[in-house]
Amino acid sequence: MRTVQGDASLRDVTVIFDDRPIIRGLSLEITAGLTLIRGPNGAGKTTLLRVIAGMVPIAGGERRVDGETLYIGHRPMLLRGLTARENLSFYSRFRGLQDAAVADALRGWGLDGKMDRAVERLSAGERRRAAMARVEIERVPLLLLDEPFADLDEGGITRVRDCILSARDEGRTVVVATHGHPELDALAALRLLMNEGVARAA
Amino acid sequence: MNRIALVAARELRAERRQPDGIVAATTFIAVLVLLESLVVGPVIARDADVAAALFWIALAFATILTTMRSFDRELEDDALDALVALPGGRDALFGGKVLALTAMLLLVAAVGGILSLVLLDLPLALPIHLAIVVLFGVVALPPVVIVDVILALRLRARAALVPILALPVLVPQLVAATRGASAALVGDDVGALSWAGLLFAFAVVYAVLGLTIVPAAIE
Repeated sequence: MRTVQGDASLRDVTVIFDDRPIIRGLSLEITAGLTLIRGPNGAGKTTLLRVIAGMVPIAGGERRVDGETLYIGHRPMLLRGLTARENLSFYSRFRGLQDAAVADALRGWGLDGKMDRAVERLSAGERRRAAMARVEIERVPLLLLDEPFADLDEGGITRVRDCILSARDEGRTVVVATHGHPELDALAALRLLMNEGVARAA
Repeated sequence: MNRIALVAARELRAERRQPDGIVAATTFIAVLVLLESLVVGPVIARDADVAAALFWIALAFATILTTMRSFDRELEDDALDALVALPGGRDALFGGKVLALTAMLLLVAAVGGILSLVLLDLPLALPIHLAIVVLFGVVALPPVVIVDVILALRLRARAALVPILALPVLVPQLVAATRGASAALVGDDVGALSWAGLLFAFAVVYAVLGLTIVPAAIE
């Protein structure tokens, strides 16, 4: 496995849930570019992303992350009762940014006529598109995307792929956990295969 | 502070669109006030201590109901995770929820209080003092309940656990609020203000505890 200085690093990290180790002694350096995490269900991919995002307590080891992170989970993480525009404006303003870019970004994701509709009235794919628009609005250096292609049609999948590659080309660090999309393998700087809480370079 | 205000505004906007929590809480307190005189009889129901006690017990349950609904909404689609993952999100979560839920509960308390005064034809000697007691009594409720909801957040039995965890801690506040409201109804100004002061102290202590505990507990 590469050991270059990274934007995020984990050293001998162990995560335990309900007395069961989910991640075991994992060391990892993630630098700018695309990192792919693959592995079967229950391998620990989501937990690994959440550890990097600082959302999970670690039982042992060290975690270091430079700069802000944007974690988008396998669900869209939008608050019901608010519109897509209101949700994204909230996230943007929370980071101290202006929310002027929100409408344009949502338009770019094909939500022109739907951005002022409550998110529970959007389809799963539309909610996913709205969530992914955060990548272009919040512009943080480290993106953590868990199954970003879920619920999307062909057009949406292409749009997500373009968005990931665009972020990578801007020099941002993009970590993607996904089962499918083998075409990303050739574009990734680092590929990890997770199995039973252990990662190895693929 | 700006982030806390953003979380509070987000919460109030979502509740305005989907007012499940506030409607349930208001209905609950209104039904309880209506039933009160039927259950205990009109003479006992007009007793200041009894009326105040039932009002605050109803409001405590209304707080639990509203707070749980607020977090249920956050758990749908993992919206809570998005907030927690933001820089400063954990710290703003507690303060924002306290602000928003206090605003909602003041509305519920106003409806329940007016209904109690009108339907039970309660004597009201010191209205300003009563308003102060209700204000501080309401402010003291959400911090305790929010901490308990967060501690039980990932548990399947949280609907049963939250009242069990919250009510023993709320007892001293409920006693103080009942005594204060009763004193204001019967015209004991020193008593009303003393109990209001104690309620304010409860609010400050639990708010500080919540601000300390919640960022770690939310993991």
